[in-house]
Amino acid sequence: MRSLSEIIAPSSYWTLAGTIGLNTNIFEINLINLILVLGILFYYGKGVLINLLENRERTILNTIQDAEERHKEATEKLQRARLRLQQAEMKADEIRIIGLTKMDRERRDLVDAADNDLRELEESKNYAIRFEKQRAIEQVRQQVSRLASERAFESLNGRLTNEFQLRMIDYHIGLLRAMANKST
Amino acid sequence: MQIEQLQINEIDNLHQVSSVEVGQHLYWQIGNFQVHAQVLITSWVVVAILVALPATTTGNLQSIPTGTQNFIEYVLEFIRDLTRTQMGEEGYRPWVPFIGTMFLFIFASNWSGALLPWRVIQLPHGELAAPTNDINTTVALALLTSVAYFYAGLYKRGFSYFGKYIQPTPILLPINILEDFTKPLSLSFRLFGNILADELVVAVLVSLVPLIVPVPMMLLGLFTSGIQALIFATLAAAYIGESMEGHH
Repeated sequence: MRSLSEIIAPSSYWTLAGTIGLNTNIFEINLINLILVLGILFYYGKGVLINLLENRERTILNTIQDAEERHKEATEKLQRARLRLQQAEMKADEIRIIGLTKMDRERRDLVDAADNDLRELEESKNYAIRFEKQRAIEQVRQQVSRLASERAFESLNGRLTNEFQLRMIDYHIGLLRAMANKST
Repeated sequence: MQIEQLQINEIDNLHQVSSVEVGQHLYWQIGNFQVHAQVLITSWVVVAILVALPATTTGNLQSIPTGTQNFIEYVLEFIRDLTRTQMGEEGYRPWVPFIGTMFLFIFASNWSGALLPWRVIQLPHGELAAPTNDINTTVALALLTSVAYFYAGLYKRGFSYFGKYIQPTPILLPINILEDFTKPLSLSFRLFGNILADELVVAVLVSLVPLIVPVPMMLLGLFTSGIQALIFATLAAAYIGESMEGHH
């Protein structure tokens, strides 16, 4: 790479550049034909181009409007779906609450029933116990009375001698006599 | 210039009109290279136009395009559609800028040569004209296309890209290799030849009949210029798409 000064001012060629100038010869620069060509180009090209661009603009406008409409529709649908979702959620909540209360009641019922059963069982048990006690007491009482009567018989049988019998009879006779005396 | 001189030099002027010069260049020396200055100058003008156009039209973007924004969007849409039809729906997007640059630069260059009165500015050697009527410009564009499709193929398919050289049958290997050279060659020569020929025809016609008669030829030149830009961009896109997709 050479120095910059040489690029800007090369030795022999730059001097030639001094002859750069304007060419005002209309024929030589072909100006009339160029203007004609440009005129034709504008005349025919403008209509085509404007038509094309207008079509494009309209298409884009329609597309955007379509898209916006569809967006609106979709938003509405989304709203509706959300509403339905909300309703469904509420319903689900209700159902859950009902289920919970039902469960609670069932549980309470069950507990109550179990309690009743328990109480009844307790009562019947108590009754049975009382009955058994009564029976045992009765039994014991009978046994005791039997034993007592047996012993009394035994002692009676042991003590029942002729002498005693005679004395007894004598006593009664005396008693009866006293009663007779008293009545007379 | 004085009026008397004009009258005196009238015949001389007519003689000047009927001169067509080819192969004359204004040279600048940059380093060890001699560059064709007239091509650079016109390229810069074209580049300036191409940069200024979107810069001014996209300043105030609206969701519903109107006026110039609509136009520039239409141009972009056109280029995008062109690229998509050549490369297919998948993977065309990164190449839109490249194809768009090719198309717009060639199109603006061609039309600037056909529409702008370049000859108003007189150079010591050569004359200002479309940048694409110089073989250096078209070769540069064609080589860029070659680099682009090599890059696209290698980037997309790795070293299996080179498998396409023996794709239908290994016998075709030399032809396939040759194709890599003929592609940029045909691209550059087609564009260069068309534009130069068109400008020469117009210049010759102007030198023969200065008025009216060259106008149909110039209109035809506008048409061919546009077609050439389209062909170049289409072929570049097709080459890139082909190297990305593999052999058919």
